This record gives sequence, structure tokens and C-alpha cells, in this order.
Amino acid sequence: MKTTRMKTKVLTANRLTDGISVWLGANGEWTTSLRDAFLARHEDAVAAIEAAGQQALADNRVVDVNVIEIEETESGPRPYRLRERIRADGPTIDYTPAAAARVSQAA
Amino acid sequence: MYRYDEFDHAFVEARVNQFSDQVARRLSGEISEDAFKPLRLMNGVYLQLHAYMLRVAIPYGTLNGRQMRKLAHIARTYDRGYGHFTTRQNIQYNWPALSDMPAILKELAEVEMHAIQTSGNCIRNVTADHFAGAAADEVADPRPYAEILRQWSSVHPEFSFLPRKFKIAVTGSERDRAAIQVHDIGLQLKKDEQGRLGFAVWIGGGQGRTPILAKKIRDFLPEADLLSYTTAIMRVYNLHGRRDNKYKARIKILVHETGVEQLSAEIEAEWAHLKDGELKLPDADIAAINAYFAPPALGPRAEGWGELAAWKKSDPGFAEWVGRNVAPHRHPDYAMVTISLKPIGGIPGDASADQMDAVARLAEEFGHDEIRITHEQNLVLPHVALADLEPLYRALLTDGLATANAGLITDIIACPGLDYCALANARSIPVAQEISNRFGDPKRQAEIGELKIKISGCINACGHHHVGHIGILGVEKKGAELYQISLGGSGDENASIGQITGRGFEPGEITDAIETIVDTYLANRTGAEESFIECYRRIGADPFKAALYSSEAEAA
Amino acid sequence: MTVIWTQNGIVENDPWTSQATEAGAPKLLPLAEALDHAQDNAPFGVVLQPADDVRALAPILERVAIVALTFPAFSDGRGFSQAMLLRERLGYKGELRAIGTVLLDQVPLMLRTGFDSFEVHHAPTIERLVERRLPGIDLHYQPSADRTDTTTGYSWRRTAILNG
Repeated sequence: MKTTRMKTKVLTANRLTDGISVWLGANGEWTTSLRDAFLARHEDAVAAIEAAGQQALADNRVVDVNVIEIEETESGPRPYRLRERIRADGPTIDYTPAAAARVSQAA
Repeated sequence: MYRYDEFDHAFVEARVNQFSDQVARRLSGEISEDAFKPLRLMNGVYLQLHAYMLRVAIPYGTLNGRQMRKLAHIARTYDRGYGHFTTRQNIQYNWPALSDMPAILKELAEVEMHAIQTSGNCIRNVTADHFAGAAADEVADPRPYAEILRQWSSVHPEFSFLPRKFKIAVTGSERDRAAIQVHDIGLQLKKDEQGRLGFAVWIGGGQGRTPILAKKIRDFLPEADLLSYTTAIMRVYNLHGRRDNKYKARIKILVHETGVEQLSAEIEAEWAHLKDGELKLPDADIAAINAYFAPPALGPRAEGWGELAAWKKSDPGFAEWVGRNVAPHRHPDYAMVTISLKPIGGIPGDASADQMDAVARLAEEFGHDEIRITHEQNLVLPHVALADLEPLYRALLTDGLATANAGLITDIIACPGLDYCALANARSIPVAQEISNRFGDPKRQAEIGELKIKISGCINACGHHHVGHIGILGVEKKGAELYQISLGGSGDENASIGQITGRGFEPGEITDAIETIVDTYLANRTGAEESFIECYRRIGADPFKAALYSSEAEAA
Repeated sequence: MTVIWTQNGIVENDPWTSQATEAGAPKLLPLAEALDHAQDNAPFGVVLQPADDVRALAPILERVAIVALTFPAFSDGRGFSQAMLLRERLGYKGELRAIGTVLLDQVPLMLRTGFDSFEVHHAPTIERLVERRLPGIDLHYQPSADRTDTTTGYSWRRTAILNG
């Protein structure tokens, strides 16, 4: 048996109605927080979330379904790819109009 | 500017209903995402990292106060209070729900706006010179022709499933402010020896993975033949453009692989069948569309001359802003004002709903109710009396819109990048912000002079990095962001594609690298009158490469 | 399920669909075969692929009973230009069928470019077509191969002739 530990995986997608990023939770519901995602730590679990993703896609609940790799940290799951970290945490910039106003006053 | 007639209103209403039906079918599950995707794209709806994105068309970048106010209202009601103005003179909303799209489109239709063909493999929003109808050097206003093309290309039955997207730009003067040489079709208005109006026609320009400058295929096309000739180009492209590889599907590759002589012969042969057909434009129709774009009645306001001089003397900040952001109008008592959407350290092209409302109000009060969006992601009030510049400036100042940096190093073009975009490989906005902060000192910017930095977060080049004097391309390498620099690009009448300097730079190095390039320019220029691009063209890339990579050479 | 739909509704016993391959039935021939076959007296149709040059049909078009243009994927829009050339350039008056991937939302555009019959597989699409709930727009900003009213203002504008 191979002993190399596989990387933990979670299932992510965007909700059909509003496009908001979601992750598949342990209770089978989609959650808007990566912290609440179900962590697939072995092949069977990965197969299960993949199947759940295909079903949700077929049921037109979500779009753009992907299994992604994460690192389990003390503060919760952390995707390896920057793209997925940004999907989980939102834009890395202060994009709200209030932030824009602060910038212009500083200038 | 153009106003919808009954036909236009009925058409847009029908298009809203059509798209609403498509959305309803998608939400009910009647059609799959695969089937829906081309339909939503054809109406400007993308799925990005965090949400859907809606791109609203601003034809040739012209709008009025009422329309701008509606854009603000949509930002507030259906989004998060802001929008992003793009290099194609459009606006994008980053957070709208799919289920809200029908309502948003209905609101847009109330002010004669839509999102038709702002994406998809079809003819996209036609762009034009943002100073159209006001610039002193203009042969003719390009917007009437852009409007005719907009109408003709809307829901075109033959050209809605092209090999790839298709972009047309029209410029009205020799000085190219519409970047026509990096468009699929570029049209330059000109007059022939008899004084008749027509176009020089360029095809096959584009950026993306394979940047290529357009080739001129016709020195003079009479204006009456605009639609028949464009149809001939489109038909040849639709039939023969490559469909086996999306990166080779733009017309630039067809031009390149077929050869411009042969391809233009095929276009001319097709046109021979079409030119005297029903697409020939009657003079009366051209005149009728032109009438919509008649310049506003600009009365004499000669008092502005004296006042302006006095204001400039008493307020250096105002003088600085006039020097940078105000350009001469064809009427001597008026000016064209650039409203920078590049506050120091801000997000290029973003505007809050409040700022949009402010611009709408100021356009109505001081600007004959006209606003333009530039492909450099700024706004323009094209008709402002010199006598109104001071109160306009004061008002812009309170809304954070008076940054005096048009054309300077902090007037950066940047795509949304990996902070929003599903296609991006690296972030663009934080890079723009850091460079802007580094060079934010007005004195330093002024000393550097005209320098266009353009940043794309992936090879699709929405940030136009290929034609930046300094271009920055974000890539992903071993899971991390890396930024390639190119130098010497230009999108004007002396267009050129930038050349990559060498290995890329990490996020923590990129601003230092830009500073090294700027310092190299300052050390090598003949004087302040030699701009960065002129200096680069004179001395070439080597001094810049040496400065960027010298430590590596020493280590090796 | 596959049906042939025209403006008159579902076509029963369409002679050209692949199911009807009994001996003596007319055939849809690829371009090269059609050019050879033109000497025969039996009726025949032509099925073209997107890369085929429709202008090659010019010498035999009088004898062709039906032309079918193939859409291998909804995104491949060459068939729209092929249809325009057949109708406008070659003056073809016979049946022009869209086969392959035919989406509901493309049918109005296909009707405009001269198609008059459609091979459809997608059940919800068939339902909408049968109910004659086409998602088209009756106002057009460009002339095409369909019959339209030209008296609606600017020279490039057209309006649909309903039930035309």
C-alpha cells in the first residue's frame, strides 16, 4: 500500500442563482464559508464529494464545480492555490467605495 | 448624442424579454450551463471568481447624466456600490445575481442602454475616440459611423457565432486615440482628393496571446460602403477563420496565415457582390445619424481666458490639474476635461455610485450633459467652458475625482486580475496600487512626464500590456505570481508591440523593477522634452535590460 | 428523439432523415458525391460540412431537392454564412435544412439566414417549436435572406413579416 498521504480536498462551486462561491459542507448543504467545508481526507471521500458535485450540477443548484486541494491549518482549511484563497477570502484589495474615499483623501 | 427612436426602444425591450426568458429557462433547469453560457455571454454575463459579472455597453463611450445616474443606481441597488470602467469604454458590475439580471436590464432600457454583445464570439461594442466631436484635429466625428455599425451588428443573424470575439474601433483623426491598430477592424475617417468622406480600413490587429498590429487593406473606402465592406470582411472571416484552436481563432491569425494580399483579394471579391446591394448607405441616412451627434450650442465664453489665468496663479493645485487633465477644445473658449479614475493608490477604473452621481450632476451643470468613457479607464467631459473650469475642479476635488495625472505614470490601465477574474493567473490591481503609491508624488510624476503603464493579469491582455510603454503581464509560475515586463509598446498612430525584457519579477520585486526602468530613462533621456517612449526608441532595450538584470550578470 | 420542424410544424415521414433508408429512397449526399451524382435522374439532396464551399454547388443546384448544412457544435457559425451564400448569391430556392446541433435560440437566426427546416433533438426545444414559441425578435437592424418589411426607417432596418 502506498503510504504517501494524499492532500486533503474540498468541493467548491458557485451558486447558480447569484454566482456566490460556495463549498460543500459536512451536512451535504452548500456553505458560503470554506471553514465549514467537508474535508475529504481519503479517496472514497473524494469520490463521494465528486459525485455530490456532479449531482448538484445536474440539479442546476451550482455551476463551475471543482475539487480543490487544501492544507489543514490551525485557522482552518487553506487552499494551496492563490486563486482558491481569493475565492474563499474575497478580493485582496479594499474595493468598497468607503475604501476608495479614504484613498482619495490621503492623496 | 444618439437618442433611441421607437424602433430602438421596441428592439431593446424585445431583447430584454428574450434574455429574461433565457435566464428563466436556466433557473428552471430547462437548459444546462453548457447551453446557457453562450447565451449569457452574448448579453455580457460572466461567471467570475466570487459572483456573476455584468458588462454593460456604453456605445463608443458616450453617455449623458441621466444614464450615468442610472449606472450609479444599479451599482447601489444590485451591486456593492461601485462599478469598474473598462478598456472597451464599458462598465462592469462585479456582484450582481443572475436572478436580478432581468430587472437590471429593464432599468438600463429605461435610459436607452443594454448589455447586448458585450461578450461572446460576436461583434462587440464598437469603440471610438473619447474626444470625438470636440477635438480640434478631427476630420469628422467617428461616432455616427460607430452608431451605424452598432445598429447593424446588433443580433446579426449571420455573425453571432464567429470563430472568436470581434472588435471594431473608429477614429476621426490622424492622431489615433482609439487604438485602431490593435483591433480586428480599425477605421480611420479621412477625406479623399475630392473632399469626400470615407475610411482607411485596417484589419487583423489584436493583443492576447499573439499580439499583432493591423494591416491596412484599403486606403479609402467611401462612407456609403461602410456596411457592405464590413459584411464582406465578416463573411470571409466567419467562413475561413480557424475554429480548431481558440488562441488562433481571431482574424489576426487568418490575416497572418493567409497573407494580407490574398485575404484582402478575397474580401474585395466578396465585396464586389455586395457593394451595390441593399447595404449601401443612402446619404440621407448618414446625414440623419450625423444629426444626432451635432455638437451642443457652445456660446462665446471669452471671459474664461482672463479668469483662468488668475485662478491658475492663485492655486497651484488647480494649475497642475489644468496642465494635466485639460486639453484644448476646437472652440477656443472651451476645453475637454479628463476626470481621472486613477487616484493615487486607488483601483484603476473603479468609481463609486456617489462618484458616478457626482459626475452626472457636473456634466449637466458644466458639460452640456455629455460624458465619455476612455479606453484608458478615465472619464471625460468633452465640452466645458474655460470659465467653468474652476468650479468644476472644486466639485471634483470634494468627490475625490481631481487627481491631476492624465497620461502620467500613475494613470495606469489595469484589468481586474485575479482579485475578480476567473481567467486571471495573477493579480493586477495590487501591482497598480503599489506603483501608483511609489510614484504618487506630483513633482516626481511631472518630472517623469508621459509614461503609460498597462497591466494584465493573464495572456488575454485585457489590460493592454502589449501596447504599454511599460507593459506588465502577470503569470502563474509554480503556484506563485510572477510579472513579466515588456517595453516600448504603443497603441497610438505609431503603434508598436512591447518587447519582453527577460525573466519575470516576483510581487515583491515588480515595483522596484519599474523604478529601475524609470531611473534608467531619466538618466538616458536627452532632456525633459524626450518622452519615455521616444527615449526607448532611440536607445533600445539594452540599457534597460542591463539595469534590470545587472546584478545577475555580475553574479554569473 | 429527433424531429424535423418547419414553420408549418413537425414534418411526418420526412424522406431525408436517416431512418428512411429503404431502397429507392432519395439520398442526402456529401458534396463530392453530389457533384458526381448530378448526371443521374434520381432525386437527391446534398449534405454539406462547414468547410465545404457552397459555391461548388452552383452548376447542379437546379437539380438538388434539399441542402442540409451541418452544425457540428452550436458555436460553429459557418452554416449561417453558407446559408446566406446559397440564398443570396446562388439564388437557391429549395429546402434548406439545419442539422447537427440546433439550439432553440439559434432557430430565429437560422430562419433569417434562409433555413426553412430543422433537425432537432432536444426535447424542451421541440416542445417550444411545436408551441410556436420562438425566442426571436421581430425587429432587425440588418437585411438578411428572410422576407421582411423594408419600410421602417433607415435603410439597414427591417421588420419581420409575421406569418410570412
